[in-house]
Amino acid sequence: MADDASSSSGITGNTVENSINQDELIMKQQREIEKEISETIPLVGEIEELQTLEKEYNEDPIYLLKVKDLSSKYKSIRRTRPDGNCFFRAFSYAYLERLLTDKQEYDKFYEIAKNSKDILVALGFSQFTVEDFYETFMEVIQRVGEHAGSTPDLIETVRMELHDKFNKQGYSDYIVVYLRLITSGQLQTDQEFYQNFIEGPRTVTEFCRQEVEPMYKESDHIHIIALSNALKVCVRVKYMDRGEGSQVIAHDFPEGSTPLVHLLYRPGHYDILYA
Amino acid sequence: MAALSPSERRLQKELMSLMKEPPPGVTVDGDQASQNLTLWTVHMEGVPGTLYEGEKFVLQFKFTNKYPFDSPEVTFIGNNIPVHPHVYSNGHICLSILTDDWSPALSVQSVCLSIVSMLSSCKEKRRPPDNSFYVKTCNKNPKKTKWWYHDDSV
Repeated sequence: MADDASSSSGITGNTVENSINQDELIMKQQREIEKEISETIPLVGEIEELQTLEKEYNEDPIYLLKVKDLSSKYKSIRRTRPDGNCFFRAFSYAYLERLLTDKQEYDKFYEIAKNSKDILVALGFSQFTVEDFYETFMEVIQRVGEHAGSTPDLIETVRMELHDKFNKQGYSDYIVVYLRLITSGQLQTDQEFYQNFIEGPRTVTEFCRQEVEPMYKESDHIHIIALSNALKVCVRVKYMDRGEGSQVIAHDFPEGSTPLVHLLYRPGHYDILYA
Repeated sequence: MAALSPSERRLQKELMSLMKEPPPGVTVDGDQASQNLTLWTVHMEGVPGTLYEGEKFVLQFKFTNKYPFDSPEVTFIGNNIPVHPHVYSNGHICLSILTDDWSPALSVQSVCLSIVSMLSSCKEKRRPPDNSFYVKTCNKNPKKTKWWYHDDSV
C-alpha cells in the first residue's frame, strides 16, 4: 500500500508577486531554528530530578501547582528532542529500558517485533524499504534481550549502550521510522475502527501517508492508540497543560491495563517520566 | 572497494530492484546510476489510453547522503517536459510526497508510480496557472519551493 500512487499534488502558493522570496526566507529561517534546536537538545537526555520542571515554571502558578501534583507520583524525568518524533523516541526508549529488567515481557515483545515485518509486507509495504528499518530495530532489541533480567552490572552496561544508540541518528531515526511503519500498519489493518478518530474527509490510508509515515510529524491520540495496540504495551500519558485545576490528568492506552511506559505530555511534546 | 554508507547501501538495493522489476513504462539508466549513485536518470513512457500515450519523458533523481531521510530531488529534464497542471515548464513537479509527505519508507519506485499516476489521471493538458512567474523566479532546487498542495485528483 505504501507503494501505490495516490498522493496530493497541486500548484504552488506563489501567485502573489515577490512571495517566492518571502517563502524562501521563511523556510531558511525555519531550517535555522530547527538546526538550533537539534544542536542544543540531545535526542534523548540524561535522567533529571523532577524539580528541574519547577525551575522551568518559576513564575507560572498554574504549572507550578501541576508540577507539584506530578511530583507526588513521579521522581524524575528524561527529556527528548522536540523534533516531532518525540513520542516515538520517548516510547521506545522507555519501553526498551523497562524490558532490560523484565525478561518475561521481553520474550512476549520479541515475538511481536519479530513478526511485525511480515505483517507490513503483507499490507503492501515494499520488502526492501521495510527491511532496512526492521534489521536495525531488531539489532537494538536483541542486544537488550541478551541481558534482560540479568545482573545489575550487565543491565547497566546494556542500558548505557542503549542510551548511546538512541543518541545516534543512524540508530535512533531508524527506530522511529520503524515504529511509524508499525503504527501505520496497525491503522490500516483496523481501518474501520480508526476511521472514527480521523477528522475531515481523509481516509485512513491518506492519514497514514501524511501524518504517520513521514518523519517529524507530531503524534496524537490516534498514533498512541495504534502503537500501543500493535505492540500490546500499555502507556500512561500525563497531560500537563493550562487547563483548570491543580491535577495532571492521566490517560492510559489501552485503558484498564498496567502501564509499563509513563510519558509526560506538554502541548506539542512528550518526555519520559519515572516513578 | 570502500564500505558503502547507509544511504549508498539503500540506493544500491533500490537500483537493483528497479532494474530487475521496473514498473510498466519505466526504465532506469543502470550504467549511469552505478557510476554515480547520487544521480539517476529514469525514462518514462506515457501510458497507453491516456493523454500522454506515445510520449517519452526523462526524470532526474538527485540524492543527498541523508537519503532516505531526505527526499530525493526529482525533476523532468530534456526536450519533452509533460504539459500537465502540476508540472512547470522548467521540469519542477508539484507533488506532496517529494517534500512534505516524503517518508523514508517510500522509494524511487513509489515516486515513479506516483508520477505515472499523476500523469495518467490528467484530463486536460495545460501548464500550471502560475507557470511563467514561477519559472522566472524559483530556485533551481524544487525542494526549496514552499508548495501549496491541493487535494484535487488531477
